[in-house]
Amino acid sequence: MSEWKRTQFYDTHVASGATMVEFGGWEMPVQYPTGIVAEHLYTRHFCSLFDVSHMGRILVEGPQRVEFLQHVLTSNVRALDLNRAQYSMIADENGFAVDDAYLFRFEEERFLLVVNAGNTDKDWAHLCAVAKDYDCTLTNITADWAAIAVQGPKSKELLTELAGGQSVTEPMRNALNTLELEGHRVCVSKTGYTGEPLGYEVYVKNEDCVWLWNHLIELGARPAGLGARDTLRMEAGLPLYGHELGLDAEGKPIPIFAVPIARFAVSFSPLKGDFIGREALQKQSDAYKRIMNRDFSDMAALPRRIRPITLLDRGVMRAGMPVYYKGEPVGWVTSGTMVPYYRSENEGLESQFTDDIVKRAIGLCYINSDILDNEAVEVDVRGKRLRAVIPERHLDNMAPPFARPIIYGTELAPQEVVYEAEPPLNLLLRADSNHLWRQKRCVNLIPSENTPSRAVQLLCASDPSCRYAEHKKVKSFYDKDIFYYQGTGFIDEVERLLVDEMRKYFGCTEVETRVISGQMANTAVFSALMDWKNRLDRRRAPERLGYVLNNHIIRGGHLSAQPMGALHDYIAVDPVTERSAVVNFPICRDNIFKTDVEETKKLIDQYRPEFIIFGKSMIIQKEPVAEIRRFVDEQKIPTTIMYDMAHVLGIVGDYFQKPFEEGAEIVTGSTHKTFFGPQRGVIAVNYKEDELKYGLWHSIENRAFPGSVSNHHLGTQLGLLMAAYEMNAFRDEYQKAVIENAKHFAKALAAQGLEVCGDPAIDYTETHQVLVKVGYGSGAEIARRLENNNIIVNYQALPDEEGFTASGALRMGVSEMSRFGFGPKEFDRLAGLMAECILHGTHIGQAVSDLRKDYTEMLYCFKDKAFTETLEDFAGRIGF
Amino acid sequence: MNHPSDLKYTKSHEWLRMEGDIAVVGITDYAQDALGDVVFVNLPQEGDETAAGESFGDVESVKAVSELICPVSGTVCAVNEDLLDAPELLNQDPYAAWIIKVENVSETEELLDADEYEAHCAAEA
Repeated sequence: MSEWKRTQFYDTHVASGATMVEFGGWEMPVQYPTGIVAEHLYTRHFCSLFDVSHMGRILVEGPQRVEFLQHVLTSNVRALDLNRAQYSMIADENGFAVDDAYLFRFEEERFLLVVNAGNTDKDWAHLCAVAKDYDCTLTNITADWAAIAVQGPKSKELLTELAGGQSVTEPMRNALNTLELEGHRVCVSKTGYTGEPLGYEVYVKNEDCVWLWNHLIELGARPAGLGARDTLRMEAGLPLYGHELGLDAEGKPIPIFAVPIARFAVSFSPLKGDFIGREALQKQSDAYKRIMNRDFSDMAALPRRIRPITLLDRGVMRAGMPVYYKGEPVGWVTSGTMVPYYRSENEGLESQFTDDIVKRAIGLCYINSDILDNEAVEVDVRGKRLRAVIPERHLDNMAPPFARPIIYGTELAPQEVVYEAEPPLNLLLRADSNHLWRQKRCVNLIPSENTPSRAVQLLCASDPSCRYAEHKKVKSFYDKDIFYYQGTGFIDEVERLLVDEMRKYFGCTEVETRVISGQMANTAVFSALMDWKNRLDRRRAPERLGYVLNNHIIRGGHLSAQPMGALHDYIAVDPVTERSAVVNFPICRDNIFKTDVEETKKLIDQYRPEFIIFGKSMIIQKEPVAEIRRFVDEQKIPTTIMYDMAHVLGIVGDYFQKPFEEGAEIVTGSTHKTFFGPQRGVIAVNYKEDELKYGLWHSIENRAFPGSVSNHHLGTQLGLLMAAYEMNAFRDEYQKAVIENAKHFAKALAAQGLEVCGDPAIDYTETHQVLVKVGYGSGAEIARRLENNNIIVNYQALPDEEGFTASGALRMGVSEMSRFGFGPKEFDRLAGLMAECILHGTHIGQAVSDLRKDYTEMLYCFKDKAFTETLEDFAGRIGF
Repeated sequence: MNHPSDLKYTKSHEWLRMEGDIAVVGITDYAQDALGDVVFVNLPQEGDETAAGESFGDVESVKAVSELICPVSGTVCAVNEDLLDAPELLNQDPYAAWIIKVENVSETEELLDADEYEAHCAAEA
């Protein structure tokens, strides 16, 4: 009988021919017969299974579980929502790691803490000693549950198949879920130790574990051992206790902040209170900030940091080898090996892995904190000084579904420019051919684009395009707009007429037209809301906005309404969660494109958001403005409701939504997507002069000018007035055609065998947009294929996908082609061509151009004789 | 495990074949299997002196480094430079992938025949 512990999978490993070794007191597979190199590559390119049942698993329960964990861990446990996980450290009083750990919250009432196998006994003793002072219980469940890490680009597909098609977890890292796999209950977390953007750890009862393992193997996963686990984590730059945490080569403890990901694991929130190691960690954190600002005057708390290291000479680095910088010893290698990768060809989204296996000698090191990225160092490899470098990283996982090796020294090829003539003439020729291609031969289906009429385009290029016309309402003159420059009488008139036309279009009281983009419209509104919130006390730093309820970007939310977009400088940080004070509209389980109204009401009740932003950039359902307005009014919840209509501005009305009638107070949008205008933005509000919030309108005007623009682009403002005339004249027939065409196009694509997103009961869409699934991660490739065949669409990540590089769908809009006269017959033909190209790879470029060439004359614009003659006279004078 | 009977072996898992006066040295099938994926071979240079029972280079696998022990004393007259670019040859065919050739052989370590070597491996395992 072995003196080492064995996991539930011991017999499985032995039967697979694994080489078993001792690790952390356990007898574990170090590799299977294919070897570490093959296991490493299979993880990066398909999917591997790792037995991680040896990791210590401790349940924390009881009334004071949160208080206990806040004290014994470094992370902010109160910020951990249900079905989320967080990386954490168990620190000692001196800010050194007892261990690193992962905390999971699968259930409301208990936490699961996972620690390193070799540290489990030490951790258990430490945790129990601290827990004595708290009303909570700890249970070591390591022996009751098995754990399998399922890692690699195919992991999601395999688990989804086992789950019968239901979603495994939400797509973001650290998301958890409990689900049934063929009747077996498992707990799944989107976490891992390989650096893979797609990877899960599955916790399963002992009796089900071999069933799950074998089932995943049948689906194509392969087992991988501790050897590959080590090379994968090293390439990902992840620390291993005993190498990057614990004691250094001289036997001195490594400060927690020496490890780059520590800053995500340590919280100094005042609400977290005192915790073990806090004072020492604060000193490390202060030193870390100084070092990151290249102030190396006081590095006492953090003399060395863990960094990636790449060997430039032939050889392999190993833990303990000394590192030299300019001849002086500066630290040691902490982990080192040779890792394989498949060489790739081409650049950017067109990068493709070849079959050519290359290996590189990389590692992690613990070196003086004042050594910068890309510095040259040397490593003493058994008496020889070999050249090495400190790169920023070995691997990047921000372009899912693959983690991609970052090869030191790789440079992008210079981008070639095709010259058919001398540069000035060449520019004209190239502009002309691009114009003819997009306007005469392409079917343009980008939902955020439209072509403005000839009249609009010519007006945009006329005299006001080179003028200034700053103006401001002045109270002394009863709010008359006062202009700063002369020669602007016509521009003044245009702006007043434009405001009138847009008021008519929205059916609202006030419109601001000076913002020159939809994003700027949002920024101006957010800035105005914050200004208005703080208007009664200007002597302290203004409070930011929060909570804000919006649509999550991954569920179709508009970039311009996200903390990473226009909200960036206006959103508060929640002191409890230490994250942006944003909460997202929940979506229906059976229709991920539709907002779940009842769940939204619960969230509003819980968070009392001061600001609610409707609107999306992936939008095929109406937004529940009226329902939410009714709810906040009934509940007397003070809030401001805005509808960011960027995408749907041109279909405001009977065929879609009437935002102000439904209860929105503010509408923003861009004027060039479904609307007929040139590229600008607009803000509309429906406050009356006697209302308190009319003051907010004044703030909006101020944050437009002088807050956002000085020159508000007077040429396109003139063009927009003509577009507004066109829209108000042809609104009904245009909007009816757009909605009918979108529904018809969606049905036609479905009839061709393509997987159209949305609810078939409403003909898939209620807007101008149509979404088609083309296969996980294939969106970009299919979109490029269509472009080569003269169909312009954009690839789109669906709500269950990780990000734009993993996009599995196409997003299309019918507004531009509807304006050029496409109807049901033409969209039928287009759907047939697209299906041939998407499903069979057929070349359809010529057929697409043939379809387009009969539809180059624009509808829904003015064509009477007097108008046309005057327009052509005017056209002859533009540019002189 | 494959351990051809026409070769001689060391307890440190190298093989040796005499081609006239020249000793050809490599690592055994048992050695490559125990090492796992070989990713780098640190070779001596032509003209280097070797000493029986002493290191003449090392083999790096993903997992660890192992010293190569020379069974003979002499002068290195050839090194297999293919191994620099393709160290995996040692895994694929350890008896074709020789590592060095030694001339002026003066002293030889105690060597095992194939049966003795297999018994030695069995005892180690």
